[in-house]
Amino acid sequence: MNQAKPFNWLGWSSFALLLVAWELGARATPKLELYFPPVSRILSALGQALAAGSITQHALVTLARFAEGFLLAALLAVLSGVVLGYFRFLNSLLATLIELLRPMPSVAIIPVAILLLGIGDGMIVSVTVYATLWPILINTIDGVRNIDPTLIDTGRTFGLNRWRILCQIILPGASPYIVTGLRIGLSIALILVTTAEMIAGSTGLGFFILDEERAMNSANMYAGIVVVALLGYMLNRLFLMIESRAMKWRHGMMARQAA
Amino acid sequence: MGLRRFHGMAFLLTLLALWELAAQAEWINALIVPPPSKILKIFSELTWSGQIPMQILVSMKRALAGYLLAAVVFIPLGVLMGLSPTIHRLFEVIVEMLRPVPPPVVIPVALLFFGLGDEMKIFVIFFSCAWPILLNTIDGVRGIDWVLLNTARTFGLSRGKIIWQVILPACSPQIITGLRVSLPIMLILVVISEMVGSTDGIGYFVLDSQRRFKVAQMYAGMLALALLGYTLNQLFNFLQRLLLPWQRGLLRRGDEG
Repeated sequence: MNQAKPFNWLGWSSFALLLVAWELGARATPKLELYFPPVSRILSALGQALAAGSITQHALVTLARFAEGFLLAALLAVLSGVVLGYFRFLNSLLATLIELLRPMPSVAIIPVAILLLGIGDGMIVSVTVYATLWPILINTIDGVRNIDPTLIDTGRTFGLNRWRILCQIILPGASPYIVTGLRIGLSIALILVTTAEMIAGSTGLGFFILDEERAMNSANMYAGIVVVALLGYMLNRLFLMIESRAMKWRHGMMARQAA
Repeated sequence: MGLRRFHGMAFLLTLLALWELAAQAEWINALIVPPPSKILKIFSELTWSGQIPMQILVSMKRALAGYLLAAVVFIPLGVLMGLSPTIHRLFEVIVEMLRPVPPPVVIPVALLFFGLGDEMKIFVIFFSCAWPILLNTIDGVRGIDWVLLNTARTFGLSRGKIIWQVILPACSPQIITGLRVSLPIMLILVVISEMVGSTDGIGYFVLDSQRRFKVAQMYAGMLALALLGYTLNQLFNFLQRLLLPWQRGLLRRGDEG
C-alpha cells in the first residue's frame, strides 16, 4: 500500500516556497529579525552549534532521558497491564484509583517530583515514566481483556502452563493494543522530557531552546526546534520500523484470515 | 459492576487511611507528603475563598480559546484536504514537517512573539490541538461512502448543501475523535505553558505553591486539576450526546446492518 507512492512535487515546492518567502521577507524587514531570522541564518546557527558540539550534547542528554523514561515506562506498564488485565480482582481494586489519577494532566506531577527528588535527571526521568505509563497501561489492560477466552481455554486444555499461556497466547494477542499504547507513549515521553527540561533543567534540548529564547538568540532557538523535530521524526520512524518487523507475523495471520 | 465499584472504593479509602496514618505518625515526612485530611481542608478553603475557581477560570478561558480556534481553522482545512487530493498534496509536506515538533517546544517561540500574556498560551494550545483535529478530519472525509456523495449530486444539491448536509454529518464521528484526543492535550499544554511563563492560572498556581513550599496547597491544586480533567471529559460526552443524538442511532444501525 505504501510502496510506489509518487514523489509529492507539489507539497515539496509549497514547502520550499514557504522557506524562500520567509528568507526574503526576513531580509526585507530587518526590524523583525528577532522574530523571523532569515532561514539561512537559522541554518548557519544550526551548523555552528553542531560544529561546536553544544547542541549535539544537549540532544544526547535529551535522548538518554527519553530512552530511559520510555523503556522503563514500557516495561512497568506492560507487566502491570498484563497482571491487571488477567486478574480481575486486582483490576477491580485499582480501577477507582486509576480513574482518579488518569484525568489529571500528567505534567502536574512535575512540582511534586521536584519536591521529592530535587532538580536533576532522576526527576526528569521519573515524571516521564509516570506520564508515559498511562496510555501503555490502559491499552495493555484492554488488550488482555479482549483476548478471546476460547484461546486461553484451548491453551489450558492442551496443558500449557501459565508461563506459556502468557508468552504464547496473552502477549501476542494483546500486542496490537500494546503497540498502540507504546506509540502514544512515545510522543508523550518526548513532551514530558522537554517540558521538565524547560521547567527545571540546566541541560537538554528543552532547556537549550528556552534559554536561547531568554537570551534573545532566536536563530539558535529555531535551530534547537529543528533538532527536536528531527529527533521526534526519527524516533517515530524507528518505532514504525521496529513495529513492522516485530508484527510481521500478524500481517501474515490477518491475510490468512481474510483469505 | 456494583461489586467492582465497591472494591475500588474500598481499596482507595484504605490507601488514603494508611497515608493519613503514616503522615500523622510521621513515618513519612509530612512536610513533603502532608496527610490527605490537611490537603482536603486546604482544598475546600481555597475553593470556598474562590482562589482555585478563579485560577481555573483563567486557565479555561485560554484553553478553550486555543482549542476552539484550532477547531475553527483545522476542521475546514481538513475537509478541503480530504476532498481535494491537490490541496492535500499542497499542504502535506508542511504538515509532516511541523507535526513531529513536540508541542511544549513551541512555548519559547510563543514567548518570543507574544510575551507572557494570554495570546502565548492560546497559540501554544492552538498549535498542539491542530494535528489530531486535522488528521482525523482528513481521514473522516476520505472514508465517506462515495455513493452518498454521488446520490447528493444526482439530486442536484449545491456544494454548500453537500458539505453541510452530507459531508460534515458523515465524517462527524472522526471529527469528534480528533476533538476528543485534543481535549487532554489542551489541558496538558495550558498547564505547561502556565508553568513555563505565566503569573496566573492553575498551572502557575501549582508550580508556584511548590516554589513557596506551600506543599498542601500544591496538592490541592493537583486535586483541582484532576477534577477539572474529569469534568471536561464528562462535559464532552454530554455535549456529544446533546448535539449529535442521531449519531448513536446511526452507529446502532450500522451494527445491525
